[in-house]
Amino acid sequence: MSPAGQADVLCDWTRTPFADSTFDEVRLIHMIEEVDDIFRMLAEVHRVAKPNGRVVIMTPHYTDHASYCSPAHRWHLSSFSLWFFGEKPAEYDYYAPAQFRERRVHVTLLRIWRALGFQFLVNHFRWFRKFWEYYLCFVVRGKTVEWELEVVK
Amino acid sequence: MPRILDVGCGPTKYPGSIGLDMNASTAADVLCHLDHGGLPFRDNSFDHLRAEHIIEHVADIIATMEEFHRVTKPGGTIFIATPHYTDFSSFRDPTHRWHLNTYSFLYFYPGGMHGRDMWYTKVRVREVKLNLRLLNLWRALGFEFLVNRSRFFRQFWEHYLSFVIRGKLMEFTFEVIK
Repeated sequence: MSPAGQADVLCDWTRTPFADSTFDEVRLIHMIEEVDDIFRMLAEVHRVAKPNGRVVIMTPHYTDHASYCSPAHRWHLSSFSLWFFGEKPAEYDYYAPAQFRERRVHVTLLRIWRALGFQFLVNHFRWFRKFWEYYLCFVVRGKTVEWELEVVK
Repeated sequence: MPRILDVGCGPTKYPGSIGLDMNASTAADVLCHLDHGGLPFRDNSFDHLRAEHIIEHVADIIATMEEFHRVTKPGGTIFIATPHYTDFSSFRDPTHRWHLNTYSFLYFYPGGMHGRDMWYTKVRVREVKLNLRLLNLWRALGFEFLVNRSRFFRQFWEHYLSFVIRGKLMEFTFEVIK
């Protein structure tokens, strides 16, 4: 949206000038925490991505200082914040009709916690990631969350 | 029979209530979007209003509370359930705009702003009941009992403990003052 960057195309993300199913991969790096409506943004991504295309999303974890460093950040997210777009009860289709399959979730932690093995545990055991999100993450704080999603059409 | 409004009723409406939701495939009797205009009811229409897991989604909490206050009778009650800002669920939903604590509604209490009424809104409610839930482990260790039992301990918990002994759900019951 700004000509000061390296953009090839300037546009508002709600109205991208691309036809349906154009891209094999769509990357949203430090992007979704700033948009006014994450559901609409991901519906547009779903539209322009090919079936089974790859979507990579990176955002600060809500316990990282970076989540609060920018006054443009509207949303503070966890490693479970995209569950709406996967398999879910049918009544949630109203809110998030776009479907993605979660291929990979990768959480990074601060160096000291990585050195102590917490990052390994969080990324290798889903139950540990859940335990970490519920009980530990305000002390053993997160840094970034990266998702790799597959577009389901 | 008391008149009850269930705001954001979802698929399971509160028994005996009028259900209101923005989504037509719910148990809603009335379709209405809270961020696009007010509630379609006259002043003082309800004895009891319920908003479970709603207030953290709205664009403007103060405007929404003004509507809740307007349609509820004087002396009527408003029940609000919402996650504490230290809970996992506060950050799991990418449509949660607000992360709240047990003091977030002081804004609407008489004298709630350091002894003065808040001058940005005319809404006045009294906190009749607050039930705070903590995660299983902390409940088992007695912390949930303490935060609900003692105002002093709740304040201490909010200030010093709540990032470790994390909160879960807050259930407020307010009495409407007009």
